[in-house]
Amino acid sequence: MSGDDADRSSASGGSGPPGSGVSPGGTESPRASTVSLRWRSSRHARRLLTLGLAALFIATLARRPEFAGLAAPALLLLAAGRSQQRPSRVRLRARPSTRRAFEGELVAIDMTVEGQGECSVRWTWHPGREIEPEGAAAADGERARFTFSPQRWGRRQIGTLDVMLRDRWRLAEGHLTVNLPSLDCYPAPARQRTQVVLSRLQNRLGEHAARTFGEGIEFAGVREYVPGDRQRSINWPASTRRGRLQVNTFAAERSQDVVLLVDGTSDVGEPGSSALDLALRGAAAAARAYLDARDRVGVITYHWGSVGWLPPGLGGRQVYRIIDSMLASERGGEGPAGAVHGTSMRRLPRAALPPGALVVVFSPLLDQRFVETLRDMRERGFTILVVDVLNADPPVRPRSTDRMARRIWRMEQEAIRFSLRELGVPVVHWDGIVSLDLPLARYTRRPMIASGARR
Amino acid sequence: MTRVAAARLGAALLGAGCVVWAAAPLVHRGWANLALVMAIAGVAAGALRLALAGVPAPEDTFLLSVPVRAWLGFLETLRRVPWEEVAAVALVWLEVMHRSRPWHTAVLGAAVIAYLLATHLAESDASPAALRPQARVLAVGAGLLALGAGAGMLPATGPGAGSALLRLVAAVALIAAAGLVLPFVAPRDTSDQ
Repeated sequence: MSGDDADRSSASGGSGPPGSGVSPGGTESPRASTVSLRWRSSRHARRLLTLGLAALFIATLARRPEFAGLAAPALLLLAAGRSQQRPSRVRLRARPSTRRAFEGELVAIDMTVEGQGECSVRWTWHPGREIEPEGAAAADGERARFTFSPQRWGRRQIGTLDVMLRDRWRLAEGHLTVNLPSLDCYPAPARQRTQVVLSRLQNRLGEHAARTFGEGIEFAGVREYVPGDRQRSINWPASTRRGRLQVNTFAAERSQDVVLLVDGTSDVGEPGSSALDLALRGAAAAARAYLDARDRVGVITYHWGSVGWLPPGLGGRQVYRIIDSMLASERGGEGPAGAVHGTSMRRLPRAALPPGALVVVFSPLLDQRFVETLRDMRERGFTILVVDVLNADPPVRPRSTDRMARRIWRMEQEAIRFSLRELGVPVVHWDGIVSLDLPLARYTRRPMIASGARR
Repeated sequence: MTRVAAARLGAALLGAGCVVWAAAPLVHRGWANLALVMAIAGVAAGALRLALAGVPAPEDTFLLSVPVRAWLGFLETLRRVPWEEVAAVALVWLEVMHRSRPWHTAVLGAAVIAYLLATHLAESDASPAALRPQARVLAVGAGLLALGAGAGMLPATGPGAGSALLRLVAAVALIAAAGLVLPFVAPRDTSDQ
């Protein structure tokens, strides 16, 4: 914070952000901010003053000198305390251990004050929303550390911090309130170790065994030796049985493009385990699992009136780009790559939705337009797998009409899922508690038949 | 027992001791009963405030039930009213209702100061070592307390009210003189601020 900023913050009641920044690499570079203090008499001083004045008044009124003696210690303490010097400004540093954390991850923020002289410092932390303290919320000393864990994804304010300085004689208190920096909380990825693999893979090196022969490590079969084959690949037992030289063949190893399609149109259910929570956690888990298998993974977030996208990419950092893209779309901003207005996937660039990509959809399937979009994509030849994250029913009162409405609603939902299955779009239900491997088991055991992309 | 709990209990016991010391023997004139009630209420509410200091107040106060709102109002009252100041004034008032008893008053003065210091330590979770810088001034104050008591025991030079006033002026002048020499007793904090 610059000096001007500090002045402005002090002018607005002595509060101001400490302004700890973060470099693009993710390491924290704490910046100190100078903030003004508001000094006032402490409760202790007011009590001493009351006692001293009351005793002096009584002494004068009753003309009894022993009451003047009673007032003496209190008045002497007050008189002596006046000579204490108190700083009008102090420097504060806030250093969070990280500016990005997953849900439930332990984070710490270190606070340091400078220029307080011999005053004692008392820190009182008021956590922000969805921030769960993991230790004491108050501390003494020129340094303090507060630990907490963010409970739900999103940009979270760590909270506010009340700083109170007491002079050596504890007769005056300097107050200061600072806003702590915000924290980007990522959805905690669910568990997923297996991947759905398409039967037709891209002609790119990867880790999935393809149906074509190549230089992989997975045994594919035996064929007759032809000049040029490597001598070390000769299968001697087979050659002995057949009387001619036989060589082992191996499956080629290829990668695939995976596009995660997150439906952000409906957020139903309990906060913390709502459809959107599950969609984000599931997408994060899928991104991590496919990137671990050297696949290219991208994300498309679908909202009312706009579609945000991030093209498929490789590498460990792509997980964070994907999550950033999803969170940016949730906040109403554009993802790292961009966004298009309207709800049609046809307007997406080819880079965002490459032909032949596996599209993994996380959706509660409540929005009819989104379902129509899925049908449209399927008709265009994309291989789609839907993870249904709907785990809530409409609230129902004990009335026959309400029960009937609920039955109709359930039947409509079943009809939507049935129609997608009829189109060749598998729909699996995930409750957000078990590993994603469990509902996807049917499709991870063998390659999923890929449709020809007809874009 | 933790240090904080011990400090709170100590403050409460000191307050109770002050009330008993100032009230005994009971007198029934000059609103002494009211002063006694105020002193008891002040000390009890102050102890209760310290005991409930850790109870958090909810951030959202919308749509709360009546009992919860009543409880929050009670906590707010407990934390806002300066109970210890009420108790201190009531104690002095109770003491002056009695006949002149200078040493009794001096002991009460020391006890009230101790009560206020203990209350401050308890509410700020500070250790008694925090009062170390004030030790010299407290010693000077104790001396003045004793001198005040001694002045109260001196026989008046004459039967009129003027002699009592004279003793009072002498005591106040003594306090003022002590205040003037204080900077030499308790050196000014010279740390660079």
